[in-house]
Amino acid sequence: MQKLFRWASKWWPGLIPLAVMWGFAAWNNTLPVEADLSARSSAALKDTVLDKTRIAVDGRDVSLAADAFSEEGRRDAVVTVELVPGVRLVDDRTRLVPEAKPFVWNAERDVVRVTLSGSAPLPSMKTRLTEAARKEVGGVEVADQMGLARGAPPRFEAAAMLLLDQIGKLKDGKITITDTQVNLSGMARDLGGREAIAAALKNLPEGFSIAANEVKAPPYIFQAYKDPVAATVTLTGYVPDNNVHAAIATSASRKFFTEKVVDNLKASIGAPASFNTAVVAALGALSRLSTGTLVVSDREVKLSGDALYEGAANDIRAGLGKDFPKNWQYKSEITVKPAAGPVDGTVCQQLFSELLTKGKIRFAAKRADIDPDSAGILDHLIETALRCPTTDIEVAGHTDADGEDSFNQALSEKRAQAVIDYLVKAGLPASRFTAVGYGATQPVAGNDTDDGKAQNRRIEFLVR
Amino acid sequence: MPYLVSFHLGWLIGSLLLGFCMGWISVVQRGNGTSKVTARWLAVLAAALVAASFAHVVPGRFGYWLDLGLVMFACYLVGCTIGAWLRDRVVSRSQPAA
Repeated sequence: MQKLFRWASKWWPGLIPLAVMWGFAAWNNTLPVEADLSARSSAALKDTVLDKTRIAVDGRDVSLAADAFSEEGRRDAVVTVELVPGVRLVDDRTRLVPEAKPFVWNAERDVVRVTLSGSAPLPSMKTRLTEAARKEVGGVEVADQMGLARGAPPRFEAAAMLLLDQIGKLKDGKITITDTQVNLSGMARDLGGREAIAAALKNLPEGFSIAANEVKAPPYIFQAYKDPVAATVTLTGYVPDNNVHAAIATSASRKFFTEKVVDNLKASIGAPASFNTAVVAALGALSRLSTGTLVVSDREVKLSGDALYEGAANDIRAGLGKDFPKNWQYKSEITVKPAAGPVDGTVCQQLFSELLTKGKIRFAAKRADIDPDSAGILDHLIETALRCPTTDIEVAGHTDADGEDSFNQALSEKRAQAVIDYLVKAGLPASRFTAVGYGATQPVAGNDTDDGKAQNRRIEFLVR
Repeated sequence: MPYLVSFHLGWLIGSLLLGFCMGWISVVQRGNGTSKVTARWLAVLAAALVAASFAHVVPGRFGYWLDLGLVMFACYLVGCTIGAWLRDRVVSRSQPAA
């Protein structure tokens, strides 16, 4: 041992080159050591849930700054870095993310984008919510403006995911979760969207409740356009169901006797009450116009176009409102078509015959009450009669062979008279018209088929 | 420690070799070494530095340099001891009669 001390007393000169080596070693290795420890610390923290993580290494001391989402998470992060081989000290600069009170989360949709804002409880959830929104609205930009905060109610993610499913059903609007209260506002994209959203909200996770659901349904629109050039009536928009659809289509084909009905209607829920009655009445008014557009939007009916003569215009302006249910609104912009030039009796006769070949004046069964569906053809007949003011016209009524002759005779006379009354009411002089009833004596087809009978029941206009 | 050793292995081997050489020479070197008092002071200094290192009182890079210096110094001492001991054996074998 003494020997060792003796030798050791002579070891000091070696300290000089050792110090030089030490200097070189420190010079060469400081930065690599710091970079290596930084990389190892980052790798160790990869699986921990932190936000705004910043790692600074000074020598072998690591300064860790980060926002943690729980006290436990914060402690775990510090311990994880402390356990990284080579780390000497950890300067703990972590903190908990602030708690949001109340915890608010928003999803807002406008024309061009979906914006997610408010707070999300975890970064991974923030990503999942953004992804879910992207998937839901496919192609529309999703802007993520969510911050991170503690204090989310339990089952927040399930609630937010369910509400994000609804954002696709909105045209525009906003969905907000405030603690456990859910608010919705905006306009549904499609008819029925509002109802679908309301149904989906019943599946909100336990604890969440709807504070307000102010999602509006888009207007229920029905449109009809009468185009005299193409001789078509185009029906577009919605009808409540197939029964109403069939009823409207049948009614339209009866009212529009010269035009082809182009039916582009779609069935959808959400129709206002008395939709069928209102639309049928409005189509009746449209059938009296030479050209026109009918728009039924929710409970508002707009009719614009040209009537065939002044009396019809007044009648349509005044009369249509009466046919609608009480809480419906009616707006009309009816002008009168410029009167066609006068023609002589022969042309008038030809025009009457053409009109009565294309369409028929209809009556209630076995009675002389004119069916309202015949208003269109009567307007055309009146317009024609106005073009030959000097002629006298015989209005002839015919029936089929069913029933007694005397009854048919009387019915044909009454029907002819009913037509004349209608014409007179429209402003034509009564002196120009004579009512004649022929009963079943002048059939134009056999009375053995329904089709033939229908052809025999008719009104004819004969210019004298 | 294992990290420091593995990261600076080359430098530590260098220190060990330097110590080995110094130890090898010290056995046959004539003249006086450091005095007892100086040696004691040096030992106290070394102990203080070791204590400072273990207590982590020196922060940041200086702390790292201190640890590195001490590890290199330890290797140097080990090298010196081995060198001196081997040289002593060689010397005592070659001069058995003396």
